[in-house]
Amino acid sequence: MNFNNLFKLAKEKGIEDLQVYFSESTNFEIEVFKGELDKYQISDSASLKVKGIYDGKMGTVSTEKINEKEFEFLINSVIASAKEITSEDEVFIYEGDKKYKEVTGLFNNSIEEISAKQKIADTEKLEKIALDLDDRVKFVQAFFGQGKTNVRIENSKGLKLEKLVNSGILGVYVITNNGEDQRTAFEYVQSNDYADFDLNDIAKKAVDKGVSLLGAKSIPSGQYEILLKNLASASLFAPHVTMFSAESVQKDVSLLKGKLNEKIGSEHITLVDDPFKKKSSKSGSFDDEGVATRYKKMVDKGELKTFLHNLKTAKKANTKSTGNGALDGIKPSNFYFKSGSLEFDDAVKSMTKGLIITDLAGTHAGCNPVSGDFSLQASGFLVEDGKIIKPVSLITIAGNYLDLLKNVTGVCNDLRFNFGFIGSPSLKIKSLQVSGD
Amino acid sequence: MLDKKLIKKVLDTCLESSADFAEIFIEDKFSTTAKLLSSKIENVTNTKLFGIGIRIADGYNSVYGYTNSKEEKDLIKLANNLKASFPGESKGITFELGKLQKGDRHKAKRLPDEVDIKEKVDLLFRADKAARDYNDEINQVHSRFQDYVQNVWIANTEGTYVNDTRVRTRLAINAVAANEETKQSGFNGPGGSYGFEFYSDVINVEEEAKEAARIAVTMLHADPSPSGKMPVVIDNGFGGVIFHEAVGHSLEATSVAKGTSVFTGKKNQKVASDLVTAIDDGTIENAWGSSTFDDEGCKQQKRVLLNKGVLTSYMIDKLNAKRMNDKPTNSGRRQSYKFQPTSRMSNTYIDNGESTFDEIIANTEYGLYAKKMGGGSVNPATGDFNFAVGEGYIIRDGKIAEPVRGASLVGTGKDALMKVDMVANNLSRAQGMCGSVSGAIPTDVGQPTIRVSEMTVGGTKGAN
Repeated sequence: MNFNNLFKLAKEKGIEDLQVYFSESTNFEIEVFKGELDKYQISDSASLKVKGIYDGKMGTVSTEKINEKEFEFLINSVIASAKEITSEDEVFIYEGDKKYKEVTGLFNNSIEEISAKQKIADTEKLEKIALDLDDRVKFVQAFFGQGKTNVRIENSKGLKLEKLVNSGILGVYVITNNGEDQRTAFEYVQSNDYADFDLNDIAKKAVDKGVSLLGAKSIPSGQYEILLKNLASASLFAPHVTMFSAESVQKDVSLLKGKLNEKIGSEHITLVDDPFKKKSSKSGSFDDEGVATRYKKMVDKGELKTFLHNLKTAKKANTKSTGNGALDGIKPSNFYFKSGSLEFDDAVKSMTKGLIITDLAGTHAGCNPVSGDFSLQASGFLVEDGKIIKPVSLITIAGNYLDLLKNVTGVCNDLRFNFGFIGSPSLKIKSLQVSGD
Repeated sequence: MLDKKLIKKVLDTCLESSADFAEIFIEDKFSTTAKLLSSKIENVTNTKLFGIGIRIADGYNSVYGYTNSKEEKDLIKLANNLKASFPGESKGITFELGKLQKGDRHKAKRLPDEVDIKEKVDLLFRADKAARDYNDEINQVHSRFQDYVQNVWIANTEGTYVNDTRVRTRLAINAVAANEETKQSGFNGPGGSYGFEFYSDVINVEEEAKEAARIAVTMLHADPSPSGKMPVVIDNGFGGVIFHEAVGHSLEATSVAKGTSVFTGKKNQKVASDLVTAIDDGTIENAWGSSTFDDEGCKQQKRVLLNKGVLTSYMIDKLNAKRMNDKPTNSGRRQSYKFQPTSRMSNTYIDNGESTFDEIIANTEYGLYAKKMGGGSVNPATGDFNFAVGEGYIIRDGKIAEPVRGASLVGTGKDALMKVDMVANNLSRAQGMCGSVSGAIPTDVGQPTIRVSEMTVGGTKGAN
């Protein structure tokens, strides 16, 4: 697709600067249930997002009808959109950085080269392995998905950037039943390197988890010491990520406003934004505005070091963009708490009476990132005198996320990512309010 | 949109395989969104979505693919790629596409493209002003306007050939109240299958904005919620999200057909208290979750899910009907051409009972009154659910007492349904976006005020 005529038309109609963000994707997804292919989906798609500065305001438009006949509509929409904007924020189309880091590992051919047939066979095998591992496994659904996306950014200031990324996921969902109780578990590996998909390991982890939760019951309400397992911690962190956006700070909806260079968490907490992480489709040398990305510590030993900035918020705060510009604002790249030195098993042994939380449900609804308050359905295991006593479910844990960060007493060495880009190791927390019986 | 002959040709290509069913779904959607923050318009965007999905099936086994292209060569290529999954002998199925049937219900009076963008943006300013005027403690308002026209054409090898036009609009207002100590937010998001007349004939923008502000300010002055087991009174309207999450999802064929739902095999059995009659109705005039046809080209209908506590119907799409040996209930829905359709809810609610709101409160010695619910989720295999309470109060000695915040409700669907011991006569519905395997779709939830005799309430304050 050639955009020269679009840039020409923009100029003729009085648009000062224009940028296109053009992405093309192909995807492949399968699911296996009872030895049969239950889902098989293939697709090719593209989308074009255009933004332009007209009379000092940024107009935007988006389309999946991608041909020259649409150019007039696109330009007219950009102008109509810009005319309604009353925000006085200064807006930018970026001329580009002098240098962009070469980021390796964004695209891995292995996942493209292996045949669909092989992927189906492996997914079927994963289902079978999980089913055969334990009599109490009653239902298994295995899935595989892969995607390839090419992104092009071009603008009227002469910037031209392009990146090709791919990703893959192989996972399994199991339901276990012991005749009295039914539980579910879910395990997956995300990578663009096909060699990372270890069928036996994925199946075993899912089944172990599903079986160990059987017979889970509520426990008495009270304050409990908590060991928040890596994925549960990542899922609780996800809705709170917006606190770190300079946009939230400037609009006065972030709890972290005014806290730069202050302690916001315990000394055990170090948080990074890492655009160069290997095998992640969120990695790359430039952000959606074309700004060069960089690795940065957001929180260093509990101290808040920076917010995430795009060009607009950086200008307002008199600083530089951190390379976190998104099409619609600000986004992190790979955002995670760094691993500590604690072994998970040692963390369990060190608890006299506490709870391991392995799953949290409803984090999209039960968290209020404006106040930091959360109250969430949880499940996991009761620990007494350093030993796992029994599985626990139908309880809620409640607290405030900033208080939680301050009450972290230890960080394990088991960093994991929640569907790609929000990561956490298991965190040991002084206490949380638990509601149960 | 696409020439009928080309549609026929694509479907015929799909049947050059051992498949017994093929379907084409063409979507052309134009949406406009506008966002306001800090009393300024931040963003206005037009979006055109266009794509074509092709599905081929043999029995309940299906394959799906989509593309943005409407070129014959691309569509035939996609059909060929998909049909390779059914390499057996052709079943020799022949069919003809009839006359195009057009959806003729839920008509909009003022279509989105006939309304100037200035009028749409003005709603956001009005909502912002009304929310801020409500109280000095309101220090931020985000509001978002959306309208769209989604045109779909669905044709299949059973001869279905329909075109449905869904016009919808929604205004979502989020008000934040703040003091030295904390910030609390209140949300209200009315919407419907209407054109712009929604804002003059159906709702009052200022009243809706004030409601969001009222919740935020009330919660600013609320105490932390107590925790523990207690009776819970859940108010009408969005309170119906409890039924949607805790029961509705488990009645969708998506989980019933494979035997993973707690309600599999429970048809004609008692699963709820006698007081509970529940309905899913995709035909309610101009409701947010209504349409003339579902996304498999079948006429939307009304389904009685539970009748006086007895399970009478699941929600079933075409392919799951085959897996279940049951009839479809025309419940096939999807977010867009990027998703295969599956069984989904439309407008789902618990029907009116015989108590009054006042009787329910007066008969509750101590408990939680959940006036506004937030979102929630459920695990259909266990029935475990959770909900956030957006606005809550303690009920003490049969009277509504102090407001409480940060409460959540957890339980299992079956338990909660059995424990419904009072149902009022004040049914109302509210709008939401429901996310599941076939994407995010507009659905209404609803109920009259109900009381659940015992539920686990999670809060930051210890048990009383």
